Amino acid sequence: MINVSVLFFGATAEAVGERQMEIDLQQPTNAREAFTEIVETFPQLKSHSLLYAVNQEYAGGDEAINDGDELAIFTAVSGG
Amino acid sequence: MKTSFFELTTESLNVGAIARRVVPAGCGATVTLDGYVRQFTKGRETLYLVYEAYEPMALREMEKLIEQAHVQFEISNVGIVHRLGKLKIGETSIVISVSAPHRRAAFETCEWLIKELKRTVPIWKKEFYADGEVWVEGDASRDSQITFND
Repeated sequence: MINVSVLFFGATAEAVGERQMEIDLQQPTNAREAFTEIVETFPQLKSHSLLYAVNQEYAGGDEAINDGDELAIFTAVSGG
Repeated sequence: MKTSFFELTTESLNVGAIARRVVPAGCGATVTLDGYVRQFTKGRETLYLVYEAYEPMALREMEKLIEQAHVQFEISNVGIVHRLGKLKIGETSIVISVSAPHRRAAFETCEWLIKELKRTVPIWKKEFYADGEVWVEGDASRDSQITFND
């Protein structure tokens, strides 16, 4: 098992009711599997169009997830 | 030095006008975007906004945009400042300044930067209306978006 932190912002933080949490994942895993598992845990996220990041970089899905990584789930950005 | 000056005035100061006078010697123009909080969006009245960022990632994405701008455009300097927290109507949320030898490149770069920032930099705004509040969700189309089978 590996331990990662998961960050939420804006609409996803409100939907989940948390801004940050630690979760355990089975190894080996990639970004697609990890984020699928997290979204299944919080199905209220499914009504949003989501973006994903691993270690502060946008994730395409195939990135390997390692112990201590920082994952983030958020909606399409709206700055400016 | 031509770019240095010191003055006394009883007039109010115009920050943008002052900033424009301090450009690199090789430049011919600075284009500055002053983006501020709009009162009405699609007929609905905004009372105020709150901006939130994934700060370390937002800074990385802003740095990438500036690096990319230097590759794509004939420009000298770029400055981007985005404000976070609660903003009232008319308050500046973002400033993007681009100096360049020729104005066309500065205009094009400034427009490119704000478009890309609105697409890639992880900052979100929450609109507070008289009758409710909502986190604004942008256009999600991104090359790097993960698509799930379900």
